[in-house]
Amino acid sequence: MTKATQTLTLLVLTTGIWLTLLFEIVKVPAPLDQIVPTLPLWVIVSFGAYLLGTLGWNIFTFQDKEAAYHSLLKEIDEAKRDLKGRGVTID
Amino acid sequence: MASGIDKFIGLLMLLIATAVFAYYTAWVLVMPFVDQGHPLHELFPPREWAIRIPVVLILVGGGLVGSFISMVMIRTARKQAGKSKTK
Repeated sequence: MTKATQTLTLLVLTTGIWLTLLFEIVKVPAPLDQIVPTLPLWVIVSFGAYLLGTLGWNIFTFQDKEAAYHSLLKEIDEAKRDLKGRGVTID
Repeated sequence: MASGIDKFIGLLMLLIATAVFAYYTAWVLVMPFVDQGHPLHELFPPREWAIRIPVVLILVGGGLVGSFISMVMIRTARKQAGKSKTK
């Protein structure tokens, strides 16, 4: 089973369960039936918050990488020289 | 280390994300279990807004992204049409 098939199956399964609860094919006790219709939106909002939080955390804890910095500068220099040889100038 | 201002922005994004998640989860998942008239309800607007605000934001955000993409595509098509005319 490919990853795509797996994800699709999971999606269809959760949607099916949610629809069953939504249309009261399986009954839900009192305050929960107020929550059921809002669940997909809650998932989307939480996912957005998770993405923003992960980005923020990675920015906050980013460490300088000295060796990678120098090797990158060297590669940029080599690329510039190589392109200059073919008539392209980059500042 | 990322420079001072970058770290601050990263931290700010993290705090906003946490606050949004906590507030929204409390609003949608917890408040239905709290009896009417409990003072906790004062902290939250009526529940219809818990649906309206994210939906409006998603539609507006999607509209902005779509408009930007359309603008770029039209600009590219115009450039190509201009080029093929002068050829």
